[in-house]
Amino acid sequence: MDFPVLTALIAIPAASAVLIMLLPERRAEIVRPLGIVLSLLPVGLSGFLLWRFQRGEAGFQFVEQVGWIDRLGVSWHLGVDGISLLLVALTSLLVAISLGASASVTHRLRLFMAMILLLEAGLIGVFLSLDLFLFFVFFEVILIPMAFIIGVWGSENRVRAAVKFFLYTALGSALMLAGIISLAFIHQNQMGTLGFSYLDMLNLELGTETQRWLFGAFALAFAIKVPVFPLHTWLPDAHVQAPTAGSVLLAGVLLKLGTYGLLRFALPLFPQAAVDFAPLMATLAVIGIIYGAAVAIAQKDLKKLVAYSSVSHLGFIVLGTFALTSQGLSGSVIQMVNHGLTTGALFLLVGLLYDRRHTKLIADFGGVAQGAPVMAGMFLFMSFASIGLPGLNGFVGEFLILIGSYASLPAFAVVAAAGVILAAVYLLWAYERVFTGEASLPANREVRDLSAGEILLFAPLVAVIIFLGVYPKPALEVIEPSTRAVLERVEEAADYVSPEPVVEFLSGER
Amino acid sequence: MDVSYLAVAPEILLLSGAVIVLMVDVFARPAARVHAWLAALFYLAAAGAVVGQWRRVSTDGGSLSFGETVLLAQHTAALRGILLAAAALGTLAAWPMLAGLGRRAAEGVALVLVAAAGFSLMSVSVNLVLLFVALEIGSIALYVLCGIVRDSPAGDEAAVKYFLLGAFASAIFIYGGALVFAGTGEMGLPGISAFLGTTVVLRPAVILIGLGLLVVGMSFKVTAAPFHSWAPDVYQGAPAGAVGFMAAVAKVGGFAALLNILFLGFSRYQETWADGIAVLAAASVAVGTLLAIVQTDVRRMLAYSGVAHAGFILTGMTAGLVGMPGVVFYLAAYSVMAAGAFAAVSAVSGDPPQGPATDTFAFYRGLGRRSPWVAGMLSLLLIGMSGMPLTSGFIGKFEVFRAAWNGGFRWLVIAGLLASVAAFFYYLRLIVLMYFGSSDEEDRAPADCAPAPVRWALWAAAAVTIGLGVFPGPLLSLLG
Repeated sequence: MDFPVLTALIAIPAASAVLIMLLPERRAEIVRPLGIVLSLLPVGLSGFLLWRFQRGEAGFQFVEQVGWIDRLGVSWHLGVDGISLLLVALTSLLVAISLGASASVTHRLRLFMAMILLLEAGLIGVFLSLDLFLFFVFFEVILIPMAFIIGVWGSENRVRAAVKFFLYTALGSALMLAGIISLAFIHQNQMGTLGFSYLDMLNLELGTETQRWLFGAFALAFAIKVPVFPLHTWLPDAHVQAPTAGSVLLAGVLLKLGTYGLLRFALPLFPQAAVDFAPLMATLAVIGIIYGAAVAIAQKDLKKLVAYSSVSHLGFIVLGTFALTSQGLSGSVIQMVNHGLTTGALFLLVGLLYDRRHTKLIADFGGVAQGAPVMAGMFLFMSFASIGLPGLNGFVGEFLILIGSYASLPAFAVVAAAGVILAAVYLLWAYERVFTGEASLPANREVRDLSAGEILLFAPLVAVIIFLGVYPKPALEVIEPSTRAVLERVEEAADYVSPEPVVEFLSGER
Repeated sequence: MDVSYLAVAPEILLLSGAVIVLMVDVFARPAARVHAWLAALFYLAAAGAVVGQWRRVSTDGGSLSFGETVLLAQHTAALRGILLAAAALGTLAAWPMLAGLGRRAAEGVALVLVAAAGFSLMSVSVNLVLLFVALEIGSIALYVLCGIVRDSPAGDEAAVKYFLLGAFASAIFIYGGALVFAGTGEMGLPGISAFLGTTVVLRPAVILIGLGLLVVGMSFKVTAAPFHSWAPDVYQGAPAGAVGFMAAVAKVGGFAALLNILFLGFSRYQETWADGIAVLAAASVAVGTLLAIVQTDVRRMLAYSGVAHAGFILTGMTAGLVGMPGVVFYLAAYSVMAAGAFAAVSAVSGDPPQGPATDTFAFYRGLGRRSPWVAGMLSLLLIGMSGMPLTSGFIGKFEVFRAAWNGGFRWLVIAGLLASVAAFFYYLRLIVLMYFGSSDEEDRAPADCAPAPVRWALWAAAAVTIGLGVFPGPLLSLLG
């Protein structure tokens, strides 16, 4: 057995959290650098994964399996495939960056660092779990550090936001637990033993009726997490109240748990139900795209604007997933990564602006570019990436999703395309009001520009955004085999034929 | 008569412990802590006896002795282990209070030992008469323990309330026993089972009413709704350190009796009683959860949460024997968490309380800053009670839900899961107060509160909660 990389990816952040809690409370000068350095270890490990991952393979790699609760058939079963690989890398990168960007956190720094690292362990655990019990454990445990991050270091209404976030998601996962228990029983009836292994679950024979119920239980949990319209009401609160690092991780990674769950569990485990419910999910996704964008346009608060833009962007990802075409699925996966990078960066910028001006209201700004040209440029760059300007990463994802869904759900794709235009409206309009023009207040003219250290935080994001935009082939070579396998499974099990692609675009195999 | 001293060795040891503690007090009048060490010695000896029983059971299987009145089996041995752990934790948690009694510390220590012995005997009794006797031994010790701080009016009120309702429950129980005897001609559960297995009972009404009354009597003890009304008042008035112990042992004893009565004596009627237990479970979960949400007093909140936990345990019982490991595991998890949580409560409010309103939620504001360790451990225990993964509470819930799902009570599982989400609200509310407050000025929580024994109890409870949550395998396979 080689070095257990995947276990290390979970264990290192968890152990780092414990280590930091053991340091003396007042030694901020040790806690902060140590936390950042420790958060770089998982970045290195995910770099190693990216390097050693066999591209073009659909199955799980680096698989580890150790018995855990034998009586229940639960095992510590980890593996990574094309769907999860980039998300793991994204998680470790964003955690390191958000810790680096938390200079403004001074209050109970030790607990803060520990909670972020615990969150990282849980998030990576969710992406790597190949055992439904283990998956549920990670999925649920994440709530605690996230609720703490919002509740202790957030702004005025943080407690309400933290509790709302916690209860909303806990409600979803409670029903999913019922689904997992009943799957385990079906497993017991068909295979003779109780078990939660994802790979075994794929071989279960489920009736249509059963599939629908189970799909409902799982999809509800994930739809709350995404969040799919109309279950999104927790999101603006949580985002606005969370501290910068919290918003970055919430938008960058936590929301992806929902879309990842849909793609990893809801589709392959309940293919017939997924096909049956696809129109419903796609409808909700499109409503989310338009609604999120429309509400974002109307926002007066910059952070809320970015939060609602997430509702819109996540709608694209759900649409791509339930388009049930190869391009749509691949687009969804790559868009999950894209959204994490760009929205993470936008939240970071909003946070830095807030640190300087202590306001998030768009009306308070104006002409900030005069004193802070680099920051303005960065905001514009990230906005372009988010809108989907060709040459940047967002274009690849949105384009794949749109042509993928055009093949199966043309009307939906047409409406969704309007969301791209709306994204340009709210982001560029926000840019105009915040950064351009004459400085309305002296304070806006004197906003400090990004420091060298802060530019360093953005550098990896910018690099990846440009790389994925210009040369997405390696990423697609990682993603495509796995999404194709999901689609083949759905086609086979549900007697479904996915339509021929309308346009061949950037296929990794061709 | 088939005498097996091993089968009752823990009770013999615990009762001798109580007598010796009292005698030493009379003749030597040593310092209070000597009694604690003596008690610890007897707990250890009793624990040794339980281990011996385990070995016997795992090699020879279960056995009846003393004229089919005492059952030595896996679950009875496990339940005694839980009782001992709860008693040890309870003694630690109550120690500041007991030591504060000065000369009367020995009384307190002896009462804890007697209560443990009583409920321990209850968990092995498979004869309705012996069950009743054991129940009374344990309960009366608890009534006295409840009012042991003489100058506390709240404690007196709690003791009287507990005594009256407890006596009422005992009366119902004995009446149920009489009816069962009238219907079957047997007092022993094995005999009842044999009778029901061989005789066609055309009119089972008397037996079923008797069974119903037995269940109602035990429902008082385990605080199942709608028989829970005494619990909040008693938990609020009794000395905080002792409450966790009371909550734990009464539940363990009561559920042990229910397990033996239903699974051993009346397994024949499972289809009939399972529905009744399911209704009782649903009522407890609903009432406990909803009322816990509106509480402003931590002890009352924990009392109502105890009602909900009783409901979850009953959920596991609906499945019959299949649910046994889950039920026992849940009892173990709950007992430890309850004892730990009340240890924290006694640390925060002081035992006896250091002032008025020390049990309100508001008093916990800022505890995370002022007493980080107590707050951390209490949060962990609350998170455990809420059923978060990686704690014993999750495994317990998972197991009882799994059993009930298997038993066909899916509606009950869904209701239980939804209640678990609602329960997050009140556990979280306390954690929010401890950690999420902003300014230090509003803090009223005491700084660095817990005295050493309470701290040990907290550490032990937290360690068990996490330990059983991460590695539940060994205990579950022992039970299964």
